[in-house]
Amino acid sequence: MTTQIEFSGVNKHYGAYHALKDINLSIDKGSFVALVGPSGCGKSTLLRSLAGLEKITGGDISIAGEVVTTLPPRKRDVAMVFQSYALYPHMTVEENLTYSLRVHGVSKGERKKAAAEVAATTGLSDLLHRYPRELSGGQRQRVAMSRAIIRNPKAFLFDEPLSNLDAALRVHMRKEIRALHDRLGATSVYVTHDQIEAMTMADHVVVLRAGIIEQQGRPLDLYDKPANKFVAGFIGSPAMNFLPATVAEGRAATIDLGKGPIRLTIPVAAPIGSSVLIGIRPEHITLTAPGEGRFDAPVAFTESTGSTTFVSTATNPELMVVETGRRMVANGDLVGLAFADTAVHVFDGATEKRL
Amino acid sequence: MRRLYSSLVDGRGFDLCLIGIPLAFLIVLSGVPLIYNVVMSFQAVDMFSLGSFIRPWVGFENYRQLIAQPEFWPIMGHTATFLAASIAGQFLLGFALALFFWTNFPGASWLRGLFLVSWVMPGLVVGAVWNWLLSGDFGVFNFVLRELHIISDNVFWRSDPAFALWSVIIANIWLGASFNMILLSVGLSSIPDDLYEAAELDGAGALTRFWTITLPMMRSTIGALISLGLIFTLQQFDLFAAITAGGPNNSSNVAQYWAWDLSFKQYDFANGAAISVIMIVVVMLASVYYVRSTRHEVRG
Repeated sequence: MTTQIEFSGVNKHYGAYHALKDINLSIDKGSFVALVGPSGCGKSTLLRSLAGLEKITGGDISIAGEVVTTLPPRKRDVAMVFQSYALYPHMTVEENLTYSLRVHGVSKGERKKAAAEVAATTGLSDLLHRYPRELSGGQRQRVAMSRAIIRNPKAFLFDEPLSNLDAALRVHMRKEIRALHDRLGATSVYVTHDQIEAMTMADHVVVLRAGIIEQQGRPLDLYDKPANKFVAGFIGSPAMNFLPATVAEGRAATIDLGKGPIRLTIPVAAPIGSSVLIGIRPEHITLTAPGEGRFDAPVAFTESTGSTTFVSTATNPELMVVETGRRMVANGDLVGLAFADTAVHVFDGATEKRL
Repeated sequence: MRRLYSSLVDGRGFDLCLIGIPLAFLIVLSGVPLIYNVVMSFQAVDMFSLGSFIRPWVGFENYRQLIAQPEFWPIMGHTATFLAASIAGQFLLGFALALFFWTNFPGASWLRGLFLVSWVMPGLVVGAVWNWLLSGDFGVFNFVLRELHIISDNVFWRSDPAFALWSVIIANIWLGASFNMILLSVGLSSIPDDLYEAAELDGAGALTRFWTITLPMMRSTIGALISLGLIFTLQQFDLFAAITAGGPNNSSNVAQYWAWDLSFKQYDFANGAAISVIMIVVVMLASVYYVRSTRHEVRG
């Protein structure tokens, strides 16, 4: 694997605001990398810095071995798909697709041919002479992608490209973008605030918060071994349950859900008496009859989507349980909660880092 | 009776009232004088028949007479020059200013607002100011040109037949450029930034972006502005009254000033009406174009 994109020590300040803090990230050629995080975390700034639309205030960015830090966007040979699509409203689909070729002086005949080829692969052949205002959201999205594909760039950059689409189309386009990436063998950097998009599409997920990379790795590694409480809570839906606990003797910790201390085994050693956070994913807890689980808790309310039932407990803090299938428990019922020792994540109470 | 009342308070009657009041206003203050003027241009009018609406019908005789006057074609030529030069000058200067303020340096919006001062000033005041600026012996304009070595001797702008029209054009450009700038600024700011970013990533340099994104996206604004410019410029009367009064020897006379001169100085109301009707036709055409270009705005 060769490195296609490299950020080394990248910093970005907006006046006094420090948007990107010493970002080091290398992206392999042909990989699909998702930058994910809550709004304001710097993921879009990082992408726009890569495109050259933002000037970084420190560090270097290189694309395909060439340092591009000071190059203007048009010399970086990257293509971007914008959240708003940014289609040229006064041009037809064909003109939109071939704008970059036109700017680079490609002849009209060749432009037409290139547009027809790309349109055929993205299903736009019948729409080439329409204007963007005459297209649906999904079609505009396709035009935006085709406009990037036609250039055969060194990298594809996506800035939350699916957030303007309805839920069903979003799921469909997710697969389409990923399939396109595989077919082109391209290097893609994909910004999203939706962890499901990041998890399902990317080979490599980078979680950002407040301008810092909190963790990066393969999607399932992030799910299985979150480096800190933030990543643990951000990756996975519904979010992980966190319980404040005190470390006791013999690899155990005590939690208090309001009805006296409960003793739990933890998979790591920690100084006795120190405070930690126990994390358990809702989908790793199963409901049992009272007394048969690790501990019992009363049900506060249940929500069912048909295939899945979400059960919240009337404890402090509240626990969320996800059950596959339908579970007939009524509000106020006492249930037992069972989970495996391996399902327990432990984070330092003060630094929130994984122990 | 109650139905009529409720309709007037909350219903179709209310809607008709809302439309009716401005419509009545327009008919009384614009429509009737306009029709009166058109009718008068086909009648024989003199000082004694001025008060009556029914006058001898002469067909196109007034127009024939008007065109036969030796100053007709020169004045039409001046009008065309005045229109073309004023609109071009106002537009280019306005566009340059709009692009300049678009760079959004500190204080840009504040300064842009100040530029509107020239637009809100009455034409007569602007004329008086430019009279001083353009003055042949002590004018600042001559001083600047002389210091820049563009001219060696003072130019008597207002009294030299070769420059009289241009002195009004210069003042008119100054007067109208800021209005052009404001409309063009609005047009510029309505172009989304991400279009420029997309174009930049597509490899377009600044000049290419201007030609392929900015100008086409501004097409409706520019169309509207040019037709508005035509209408406003044809209405520009004050500057002529203040700066040259159409002289010397009609060298800066234009249709709108001539219409007033014929009607209210020479009391030749029939010919004055005829030239007004010719101008109405031109303005109507410009208005149609204006409405068309504002309707065909490009939407994303």
